[in-house]
Amino acid sequence: MPIDDYNTEATELVETYDFLMKYIVIGEAATGKSCLLHHFTHNSFKDHSQHTIGVEFSSRLVKLGEKRIKLQLWDTAGQERFRSVTRSYYRGAAGAILVYDITNRESFKNLSRWLADARALASPHLVCVLVGNKSDKEEEREVEWSEASRWAAENGECLHFLEASSLTGDNVEAPFLLAARAILLSIESGILDPEKAGSGVSYGDRALRRVNSSSRLSFGSFSGSRRKKGTLKLKVQNWVPGTRCC
Amino acid sequence: MEQKLIQGSKQFLNALGEVDQKLELLQSHILDMRVSCDEAEAQLKLTNDASKSLLERAGSLREQRQEVEEKKSIVTLFLARFTLNEEDIVALTSRDVPVGKLFFEAMDKTEQIRRDCRVLMAGEDGPTKAGLDIMASTSSYLEQGFEKISRWCTNEFRELGRETIIDVTPTLQEAIKRLRSRPELLTEVLSMLSQIRQATLLSSFITALTRGGPSGLPRPIELHAHDPMRYIGDMLAWVHQTIAAEREFLEGLFGLKSDGRMVGSIRRFDYRGEEEEWMQELLDLAVGKLCSPLKARVLQTVRSQESSIVSYKIANLLQFYMVTMHRTIGEKAIVSETLKETTEVAYKVFHDAVDAQGRSLMRVPLDPDDPSLTPPPPILEHAQILREIMTVYHSSMLGDESNVGQATGFQDISNAMVDPAIEMCITSSAQKKQIRPKWDQSVFILNCLCYLQDTLDIYPFTSGKKEHVRSVIQERIALLIQEHFADLLTKAGLQALYQTCEACPVDEPLSHAPGAQPPEVKVALQKFSAWLSSPEVVQSARLSHLTAQRLHAQVHQAALGRLAKAYRRICDEVRNPKNRYEAGSTLLGSERPFGQAHLLWQIFGLHEDAGDDDGDQ
Ligand SMILES: Nc1nc2c(ncn2[C@@H]2O[C@H](COP(=O)(O)OP(=O)(O)OP(=O)(O)O)[C@@H](O)[C@H]2O)c(=O)[nH]1
Ligand SMILES: [Mg+2]
Repeated sequence: MPIDDYNTEATELVETYDFLMKYIVIGEAATGKSCLLHHFTHNSFKDHSQHTIGVEFSSRLVKLGEKRIKLQLWDTAGQERFRSVTRSYYRGAAGAILVYDITNRESFKNLSRWLADARALASPHLVCVLVGNKSDKEEEREVEWSEASRWAAENGECLHFLEASSLTGDNVEAPFLLAARAILLSIESGILDPEKAGSGVSYGDRALRRVNSSSRLSFGSFSGSRRKKGTLKLKVQNWVPGTRCC
Repeated sequence: MEQKLIQGSKQFLNALGEVDQKLELLQSHILDMRVSCDEAEAQLKLTNDASKSLLERAGSLREQRQEVEEKKSIVTLFLARFTLNEEDIVALTSRDVPVGKLFFEAMDKTEQIRRDCRVLMAGEDGPTKAGLDIMASTSSYLEQGFEKISRWCTNEFRELGRETIIDVTPTLQEAIKRLRSRPELLTEVLSMLSQIRQATLLSSFITALTRGGPSGLPRPIELHAHDPMRYIGDMLAWVHQTIAAEREFLEGLFGLKSDGRMVGSIRRFDYRGEEEEWMQELLDLAVGKLCSPLKARVLQTVRSQESSIVSYKIANLLQFYMVTMHRTIGEKAIVSETLKETTEVAYKVFHDAVDAQGRSLMRVPLDPDDPSLTPPPPILEHAQILREIMTVYHSSMLGDESNVGQATGFQDISNAMVDPAIEMCITSSAQKKQIRPKWDQSVFILNCLCYLQDTLDIYPFTSGKKEHVRSVIQERIALLIQEHFADLLTKAGLQALYQTCEACPVDEPLSHAPGAQPPEVKVALQKFSAWLSSPEVVQSARLSHLTAQRLHAQVHQAALGRLAKAYRRICDEVRNPKNRYEAGSTLLGSERPFGQAHLLWQIFGLHEDAGDDDGDQ
């Protein structure tokens, strides 16, 4: 009888986490959103990717320093005809991965609209990461890194930028981790409250247990609801994913 | 000296006598002692015999003790293996030991004892009393343990179940796994979970609808109730996202590895075991609870639409989610059923709206004072609606429909939209024609029909209706060619002559018939010759009102072709001796095209056989 199955620390079978965050992945059709997500969740390139119909869901657990974070990922269709459906999924997202294709200037031109939509519909403190995908196709590049980087800098404090390739896997994890880190910082600074529905973030049981036991230590007896978290201090070190980011 | 000797001897004798006396005493003593010694020896011997048996007994006792010791250790071992110690019992039964590692170990131990005991009792001797006792006591503890798990789960669910999203701990997962061997308890616990989840999801749905997120952001969904697409879209997206999260929770609870499949992509409902069944049922019930507020709001929105396009958009949106739900939680799920129902209602509302629109279109009279021949405003508006409906239909394709399927899917709509429009053009224009006889009804009808055809032309799925419109256009073109030919014949001055040719009895010479006598023929030919120089030969003023340029050319050429044939007929008749024209050829040769019909084809820019073709090119 494998006793370790329910030995909390030893098991990876059950994915307990400290935080749960909702992300949306948006951008023009065929920029490689589904491939990016697929590489992130399956660690392989998605062959023969078809246009996404509506939205698709997947999830993955990531670790950021001490913190275990569960990401709920909503891959949206980029095609115009699904816009009215996909926009409804922006509601209450904590993070947005905004994807364009570096070999297609058209996909870069509309970014302002995508960003404005996301800011208007998602959680008010939405963290955005701009991803220039298909960085493996350098010879077909139509959008320079510097131009996109400038655009990101000009478009709000929450916007990080990097280039990635869903084909080679280059920088594929970075945007997701970057967003998670920024969200954790928002929580730490009190801007975001995972207690509240609609913020796009919530606590996992792991965080609760930790907070509960520390509360017990500091207050001698622990009273009140188990969901009371007291003050939670996060230590997100200066973690820099990938090489190029701002 | 002697004396001294005697004295000495006497003293010596006295002393010896004393010694003798003493010796005698000693001897008697020794005798006494011997007796005593004999006695003692006898006594000793006796004692010796007695202690020997004692020793023997002690030895055997020692052996016995050894045996008992051995038995005792065996019994202790047995007890250790077949009974629960105090701590185990406390872990199993007391509230002070939480459900966790210790508790589960005690559970494991109890079950191990019962397994071992069962093996023992399966031996030749059959169940022993001890075995039966062990089974009885462990059974009670085990059941208490299960009761404890179930109580704990119930509490856990009470506390956690109110959260919108639940993180499953390994302990909870283990607890549920263990309860699987007590189906009644599991059922009880899960029904209770189900109740809680239903209530929780329902209340978070209502919160999202009416109150929105923290401090009102994101805004409540109902805030957008005036924008039906957004309102319904937001509600359904909320439900869809809730299903995804709930499913993850349940997968965690039942320890199912999520298959890496994305929700929204097609789920195969292969049998994945009992857990999958539990999961589907729980999911269905929890989400099913949302159906009543969802349905009420959707139906209210659907029924209050006035625009057929919006109705259509809503119907398509509902259908999209119906398909999505079928693929993610199955057709039989309550949500799927609800979506099916509401989709049907939405389509009905849409079709009713389209039918009503068609009926009202047919009642609209044409403005008798409007001289224009282009499609009137009601038709333009109607076509615009049709265009928008087609766009929605096109964008609702999921990409896996066949061409035939796409066309079939649009048939009802195109019938309901296009047929009344055709009908309206034809009937109302006939009414207007009665009031305004000079108004060009034929050109008007063709312009309207072509406009409808062009409207349908944007998408391939309208092919069936386009074919229908095309055939109506062909009929109308044939009529127009007929009319135009008659016009040309009149304008070219050949009308009376040609009619006489056509009507003349075979046995009567044509030159005797009124209207075809040589002077009349001459006048007609002169007029025709003059007409040949007019611009009408190249282009018809009347046909220039046809919006479709290609129709203009087609109709004109077909009519000219007939005109050429009519001229040839006249020539043939005039040359025919039976008709008794004097110098018929000279008569014909006096005016262009000098009786040579083939020249006429050239002038008209036609190939001779082209004129045979009245239809389309
Ligand atoms: N070379 C290269 N090709 C890529 C990369 N990422 C995606 N592609 C290709 O780009 C095409 C579109 O990829 P998808 O992931 O389906 O695009 P999408 O953004 O999800 O498109 P929609 O679902 O329609 O919005 C596919 O043919 C992929 O093979 C990349 O990093 N490098
Ligand atoms: Mg996609």
